[in-house]
Amino acid sequence: MEYQNSKIPEGINVSSEHPLKNFIYLLLGVSGAIIAVLLVLFYTIGFIAKWVPFEAEVKWAESISASFNESGDDTQNGLLDALGLPTTDKNLDGLDEQYTLRVQKITLYLQDLANKLALAQELPEPITITVHYIDQPLVNAFATLGGHVFIYQGLIDAVESENGLAMVIAHEIAHVKNRHPIVALSRGLGLGVILSLVTGVGGDSLSTSLAGHVNLLTSLAFSRGQETESDIEAYNTLLKYYGHGLGATELFSQLVKAGQETSLPEILNSHPLSQKRIERLEKLGQSTITDCSYASFNCSLTPLPEFLLND
Amino acid sequence: MYDLIILFVLLSLGYVFGQIAEKRHFRSIIKRESEYQSILTFAKRFPLNNDGEQRAELVGGNVVISVDYFKRFVAALRNLVGGRVTAYESLLERARREALLRMKAEARKKGLNTIVNVKLETASITKGNKNQVGAVEVYAYGTGLLSNH
Amino acid sequence: MIVTNIEIVPGRQVVKHLGMVQGNTVRSKHVGRDLMAGFKNIFGGELVGYTELLTESREEAVDRMKQQAEAIGANAILNVRFSTSSVAAGAAELFAYGTAVVLE
Repeated sequence: MEYQNSKIPEGINVSSEHPLKNFIYLLLGVSGAIIAVLLVLFYTIGFIAKWVPFEAEVKWAESISASFNESGDDTQNGLLDALGLPTTDKNLDGLDEQYTLRVQKITLYLQDLANKLALAQELPEPITITVHYIDQPLVNAFATLGGHVFIYQGLIDAVESENGLAMVIAHEIAHVKNRHPIVALSRGLGLGVILSLVTGVGGDSLSTSLAGHVNLLTSLAFSRGQETESDIEAYNTLLKYYGHGLGATELFSQLVKAGQETSLPEILNSHPLSQKRIERLEKLGQSTITDCSYASFNCSLTPLPEFLLND
Repeated sequence: MYDLIILFVLLSLGYVFGQIAEKRHFRSIIKRESEYQSILTFAKRFPLNNDGEQRAELVGGNVVISVDYFKRFVAALRNLVGGRVTAYESLLERARREALLRMKAEARKKGLNTIVNVKLETASITKGNKNQVGAVEVYAYGTGLLSNH
Repeated sequence: MIVTNIEIVPGRQVVKHLGMVQGNTVRSKHVGRDLMAGFKNIFGGELVGYTELLTESREEAVDRMKQQAEAIGANAILNVRFSTSSVAAGAAELFAYGTAVVLE
C-alpha cells in the first residue's frame, strides 16, 4: 500500500471573480430592483387611491385630527397640528367680539367663493370643500385630506383682486377634486412600509412606522405634475366663472417680485417655480379667449371686498 | 449624507485592508503547506498499518478569522438576491487550511508524522447576534501517529 | 493517558470498556476583547485573542474529560469528538467526549 499527500491546485474552492465587480453588479441589481418595485408601487397606489370613496377620506381626516386634538371637535386645529403648523386661537372668550365677527365674516365670504368656484369646476357629488381662514401673515394656502382648504391672511394680502384669490382657491379645489391629498398620503404610507421592509429591520420598526403614519401628513407634498394639473384646471375654472383669465398670475408675479421663492413654507416649495408657472399660464391664455374685446360682459378685475384687507 | 460617507469609508477600508490581508494570508498558507507536506493527513478512521505499537496522540489546531466590512456588506446584498456568496468562500477556505496547518504544526512539534481521522468543525462565533462581531472559527483535529508507512 | 479520535490504539489491545467520559466548559469573551474584535471587524483578518481563548477552552475541556477517565480508572480515551455551541450572546460552550477504556 502506498500513501502520499499530493498538492491540490489552487482556486477550486474559491471564485476567481473580482470582488469589486461582484459588488458593483450586486449594488446595481439590488438598487435597480428596489427602485422598480417602488415605481410600480407609486403608480399603483396613485391609481387605487383615487377610487377611495370621499366619505372614507373625510373619516380619515377626522381621525387624524382627533388624534392630535384631545377634545376631537376642532378639526381645523387638529389638522394644523398634524401638519406641524401653528394653530389658531379659538378661545372666543379671550378675544374681542369684533375680531371674532370679522374672522367669521371672512370665512363665510371665502366659503361662498369656494362654493361658486366648485360649481364652476363641476366638483363631483360627494366631494365637499370646507374653507378655513387662518389669520396669520404666512403667504400660504393648501388643501389637505377630507376637502379641507386652508387660506392664510398673508396670501390674501399678497393678491390684488378677487380674481387672484379665486385662482388660488380654484387651484386648491382642483387638488381635492383630483384626490391629490389622499394619493400623496397613501403613496407616502406605502413607500414607507416598503422601505422599512427592505432595510430589513423588520417587525419592530414596521409597526412603529405604521403607528406613526400620522406624521406622514407633515411630509405630504404634491408632485409637480399634480401642481401643473391643478394650475390648468384652476385657470379653466377662472375662465368659466369670470369669463376671462385676468388675474390668474397675480400671486405668482407677487412671489417673483418679492423674491420669496426660497423663504416659502415647505408646502409651497414643492411647487414649480413661479416664473415657469406664469409662462405656462400665459401660453394657455393665448389659446383661449382672454382678449377682452371679445367679451360681451364686464371684462375687468373684480376688487377684493373691503373687510378682507388687513388694516 | 454623513451616514453615506461613513459607509463609504468603512467599505473602502474593509476592501483595501481585507484584500491585502487575504492575499498575504494565502501566500503564507501556500508556503507553509509545502513545508508541512511531509506530514500526511487522512480522513480515514484507522491507522495506515496496524503492525506493531505506534505512538498515538490527539492533535488539533484552530483559528478565528473575522469578516471585513466590505465582505459583510456584499454578503448582505447577496442575501437579498440569493445565490453563491463568493465573498465568504475565500474566508472559509483560508480558515480551514490555516486550522489544518496548525494541526500539522502541532503534530510535528510532538514528533509525529501522520494524522488520521481528521475532522473539521466550523462554528460561527456570533450565531444569530446582529450587533456582534462576525467571525468564523474552524477547528481541525485528528489522531497523530508515528507511523512507519 | 492516551487520547485519540480513532477507535483503536495501534498495536495495543483494549481489555476493558468503561463507557463515555466528557468534559465541557463555557467561556465568554471579556469586553476589552470584544471591543478589539469589533474594531478588527472592519479590516478583517485573524482574531488572535479569540483563537487563543478557544484553544485554552478546548484544552480545559479535554483536561476535564481526562480527569473523568482517570477517576474511573481508564488509561486511554478513544473516539474523541469535539462540539461547539453558542449558549448565549457572547458565550460559547466547548464540549469534548469519548470512550474511556483500559489498555493492556
